Amino acid sequence: MSKELIRLQNLCMAYDGETILNNINLYINDKEFLTLLGPSGCGKTTTLRIIGGFTTPVSGDVFFDGARINDVPPHKRQINTVFQKYALFPHLDVYENVAFGLRMQRVPDPNNKRGAKLSNEEIDRRVMEMLESVSLKGFERRRVDALSGGQQQRVAIARALVNRPKVLLLDEPLGALDLKLRKDMQIELKRIQQQVGITFIYVTHDQEEALTMSDTIVIMDKGSIQQIGTPEDIYNEPKNAFVADFIGESNIIDGVMVKDKVVKMYGRLFPCLDGGFAENEPVDVVIRPEDIDIVPVEQGQLTGTVTNVTFKGMQYDIIVDFRGFKWLIQTTDHSPVGSKIGIKIDPDGIHVMKKSEYSGMFGDYSSFSDEYDELNGADGAEGQGDET
Amino acid sequence: MKRKLSLFALPYAVWLALLVVIPLVIMAVYAFTDSDSSAATLENFTDMGVYASVFVRSFRLAAIATLICLLIGYPAAYFMAGEGPGFQRVALALIMLPMWMNFLLRTYSWMSILENNGLLNQLFQKIGLFSLIASVSGQEIESFQMLRTPGAVALGMVYNYLPFMILPIYSVILKLDKNLLEAARDLGANSAQVFLRVILPLSLPGVLSGVTMVFVPSVSTFAISRLLGGGTQMMLGDLIEQQFLGGAYNPHLGAAISMVMMVIVVLCMALMNHFGEGEEQAVML
Amino acid sequence: MKKNRRIGSRFLIGLVFLFLYAPIALLIIFSFNEGDSGAVWKGFSLHWYASMLRNRLIIESVYMTLLVSLLATVIATFAGTFAAIGLYSLPRRRRDAILTVNNIPMMNADIVTGVSLCLFFVAFFQFWGRFARWFNGAQTAFALPERLTLGFGTLLLAHIAFNIPYVILNVAPKLRQMDGNLMDAAQDLGCTWMQGFWKVMLPEIKPGIISGALIAFTMSIDDFVISYFTAGSSTSTLAMTIYGMTKRRVTPEINAVSTLLFLTVLVLLVIVNIGEIRQERRKRNASLQGVPLGEKLRRFFATRAGLYAKRGLTAAGVAAFVAAVLFLTRETQSIPVVNVCSWGEYIDTDLIDQFEAETGIRVNYQTAESNETMYSLLKSGGADYDVIVPSDYMIAQLIEEGMLSELNYDNIPNFQLIDPRFRNLSYDPENKYTVPYAWGTLGIIYNPTMIDGEITSWGALYDERNAGKVLLINNSRDAIGEALMYLGYSVNTTDESEIRAAYQVLDDASRRGVFQGKVMDEVFQTMEGGNAAIASYYAGDYLSMLENNEDLRYVIPDEGANWFVDAMCILKDAPHMEEAEAWINFIASTEASLANMDYIGYASPNAEALEQYPAYYEELYGEPMEPEIYDILVTPPEVLARCEMYENSPPDTRALYNRLWIQLGI
Repeated sequence: MSKELIRLQNLCMAYDGETILNNINLYINDKEFLTLLGPSGCGKTTTLRIIGGFTTPVSGDVFFDGARINDVPPHKRQINTVFQKYALFPHLDVYENVAFGLRMQRVPDPNNKRGAKLSNEEIDRRVMEMLESVSLKGFERRRVDALSGGQQQRVAIARALVNRPKVLLLDEPLGALDLKLRKDMQIELKRIQQQVGITFIYVTHDQEEALTMSDTIVIMDKGSIQQIGTPEDIYNEPKNAFVADFIGESNIIDGVMVKDKVVKMYGRLFPCLDGGFAENEPVDVVIRPEDIDIVPVEQGQLTGTVTNVTFKGMQYDIIVDFRGFKWLIQTTDHSPVGSKIGIKIDPDGIHVMKKSEYSGMFGDYSSFSDEYDELNGADGAEGQGDET
Repeated sequence: MKRKLSLFALPYAVWLALLVVIPLVIMAVYAFTDSDSSAATLENFTDMGVYASVFVRSFRLAAIATLICLLIGYPAAYFMAGEGPGFQRVALALIMLPMWMNFLLRTYSWMSILENNGLLNQLFQKIGLFSLIASVSGQEIESFQMLRTPGAVALGMVYNYLPFMILPIYSVILKLDKNLLEAARDLGANSAQVFLRVILPLSLPGVLSGVTMVFVPSVSTFAISRLLGGGTQMMLGDLIEQQFLGGAYNPHLGAAISMVMMVIVVLCMALMNHFGEGEEQAVML
Repeated sequence: MKKNRRIGSRFLIGLVFLFLYAPIALLIIFSFNEGDSGAVWKGFSLHWYASMLRNRLIIESVYMTLLVSLLATVIATFAGTFAAIGLYSLPRRRRDAILTVNNIPMMNADIVTGVSLCLFFVAFFQFWGRFARWFNGAQTAFALPERLTLGFGTLLLAHIAFNIPYVILNVAPKLRQMDGNLMDAAQDLGCTWMQGFWKVMLPEIKPGIISGALIAFTMSIDDFVISYFTAGSSTSTLAMTIYGMTKRRVTPEINAVSTLLFLTVLVLLVIVNIGEIRQERRKRNASLQGVPLGEKLRRFFATRAGLYAKRGLTAAGVAAFVAAVLFLTRETQSIPVVNVCSWGEYIDTDLIDQFEAETGIRVNYQTAESNETMYSLLKSGGADYDVIVPSDYMIAQLIEEGMLSELNYDNIPNFQLIDPRFRNLSYDPENKYTVPYAWGTLGIIYNPTMIDGEITSWGALYDERNAGKVLLINNSRDAIGEALMYLGYSVNTTDESEIRAAYQVLDDASRRGVFQGKVMDEVFQTMEGGNAAIASYYAGDYLSMLENNEDLRYVIPDEGANWFVDAMCILKDAPHMEEAEAWINFIASTEASLANMDYIGYASPNAEALEQYPAYYEELYGEPMEPEIYDILVTPPEVLARCEMYENSPPDTRALYNRLWIQLGI
């Protein structure tokens, strides 16, 4: 895309003896919209805080534009942050919140060693300009706690951007908004990013948000990076069961790679597009619910029993029992509960992944609730795994 | 950054060690030694049996005063919390305000009210109470002995420490979630039930901290018992004061008594907090 | 129904306020009393306000109180705020541990805090003394003070110590409520940590800091117990002064001072409250009223001119504070001082001014309640006295324990004026340590209108017929001594069975409810007001009471009585030896003795003064002195022959006295 702006090298972080980050290596390009995605506690916020300078890593280095900035305090970095819950200053009004960073700024001045302050006119011009671009004109003298969530959000963004940083860090900025507003703000954020043309590093646990906005997604879990890639790559070619499960809905099945482009599941051979595995290597197979076609029993590669049907508007979510392992299938056709069906999967619908620490933990739709999955997932899945 | 900030706590930790912990340790050392020898001894504690009655009197009077404070303070706090914000603001200020007139002076003022020739007895005289008693029972009395009685001491305690009971209860009741009360009503509780089953249990932390804030100074007072008890109502505070700055110089015994008092008080509070289901020390002021 | 409840609740709240404010109203009303009684109204007058300003004791203790409270509040607020910030960045477990210790001073009884601090300071002083002696012995370049005493420094430390927890308690919740990212945001926007602290954190936690400081200040002002144990003798806060006064009679000047303080706070509260209410109202209809004043001010301060104005105001505030502190500390500047400890109402205060004017030496005059309490104060290291005026038996004890310094009589020429009868007495047989101050007897004071018949025996003190009307003297030596005399024993007996018999007399009487109370100087007010009929007290004080209640009579019982001599001595290692001797010499002079005799009602040991007094009296009051009065003032030799002087008892006997005395109290 363009040149590298930030590089994280062998970052490790621990707090109270607990590892938070485990050897993170990442580079971020200029003008890129990069998302750190992962469940809570995966280390994404810590990574962001290290970039922002609020946390010092135990080991490893942070480079900005080629210079090591580990010891540069936050106020000297050309990076600004939109905080979780915004951290607006409650004792200042909208205008003063936005002007805060500008009032702190010093421009080099031959007459003054510490540098000169920005003039009031300059500050006023930039603040007003900024407020206008986030559609908050007329709100200058409002108290920040008298604003709605979306307005506060925009003040937070304005407050950060008015300083013209090279990088904007956003820590789950949409977490506090309702669904509708979130969708609007996603588009708005992307628009702003393109307009100002700087790097956004965005932290979220919402995969949909990540897919919508990002140029690059970094999926993290347990302090490690699981996969880096474009939204399409990550959705279509998940590297392991965790990524597959975290991004979109997936049926993850134990399989064996018989040879290149042939994988065996449930004792049957399926053609696929993947290769490069050892012969008879055990693998995880990801099949997206929408990639499965329902066909009459006779025509099916596999046959199962429908145990549950949920109407979702555009499609039906159908849970099908294949020898005790429950699959999710999304289809526009209705099949009644209890009926026997056959399924067919195209070769490009089958994604084969190497076995990882996450194998056997995801993919079974025995229950509707994700929580239930999480609670029972490991044991139940293992039990199922033995059958094959 | 956070780690750097925690350096601010270090000087304070040292300060606490120096001015809170070490003094208490020194007091303990005093309690376990006597003036003649530096060897450890339990004599100060074994000798204390003589003062059992002082302990009993102190704890009894303090308990009575605390109870009275609770009986007056709770309704007052409850009603106050139900008033409008203007009323509350004024009432709150009025409750704090007496602290700005020295408590000794306010207590002293009670002396002139309670004296045999004091204002209250003068009032009784004027309204003919004594002649009434004389005509009814045939007993000739000129005045009620009110000063220098246990009652006067208890009154002094109630008077001085009542605000410490009202304030914590008031702030707890004020912070009660109004939704809870509505929920209780919604579930069919009448006013009395709402009070007994919701408000009272929820205001317990305030009551507990109020009780602590009244009981502790009451049990250890010496100025109040000295002024209103006229030396006839010796309390633990008097006993301790006597050993340090009073007529019977023996800091070792004084330290021992202080320690025993402290331990008993701590035990009482621990016990109470236990029943309060560990509802932490809650609100101060 | 609802309305009734509202009236009922308001009624109750009203009663509570009546209860809280009745005594205060009384205090305020009687600060305008023409007379000096706290119960009898004699007409409106402002003269207590005028005389308050001239009462050095009061003014100095108000200074001291304000100074200590202000300094302690400022320091504690500063330290407490930073401590709270530090605590909030500690790991939870360590923070909780520190907070637990932090709560100790708030949960502990004041007296325990006071006592433990007192013991700590004294232990530290001992350690320091040893160190300083070693240090000064080891090198000569720099000398450390070897003797430290309780005083302003320890008082301030104690106040700071009990104030900080209150500040932390108020700041901590604000820190907890503060968005954790706020400081990060400030730094993110270009602040250094310090700028962030000033611009973001401070405004956020300011309400907590202010209320913490207010509570700390209130606590400081109101504190008595902790100050009492840590201030030592030379420093006295208003509370301590009042406590000293409550023992005899609180002068309405104190009412006046307190009324002023009280009204000041009241006015401040009203202003603040009205301000807040106005602000709220403004907020409600802000759109109607245009720019409110606060906003105008804020905008002004945002401009450049405003910036200088703001800086100017801040500087002015700081300057005002420093000036206030300097003004308040002026008392502690180093002019020659002598610290004197005597008894209440035991000197003509004009003499102090006279001495100061003549010599330029400042007299720090304090009073103790009894020989025993003074002894305790000396022993506990709390006293910073040069000159003390103990009684005979206590002098002997102090000499025995090596606590007195030998006097250089060359510096006290007026010692030659002392009547030889009062030299070389048993307590100081070679007269190396003392110069007598006054002498007198301990007898019975009674109010004939309240009892039947005359009193001639100590037995009247224990007589059931006088139940509830007798005031027992509140010190072991006198109280047990009286009972010994009643039983016909010597007041100096060391026979345990005799002492126990005397105790039994007191104990019986106490059980039968004869004693209304045990008093020292409280006796004045009680007897003068006719609140008790019989008391045993000193002859000179009887004469003072007589001025306020003409009914009172004084009698030396048939069994005899105690006669005593109080003498001036100087403590060992007294820091102001020269000034102390100058003071003693001044007091021993004939003129001072005459003035003192007239003022305090005790006989002087000065031979000339004894002789000249009737003439002095006649000249002063324009009428001759009544002989009976003179006989009470200057006990005739034949009566004195019946009286016995206390002697120093062996330690066992002293311990027995103490034990029995405490036992009587419980």
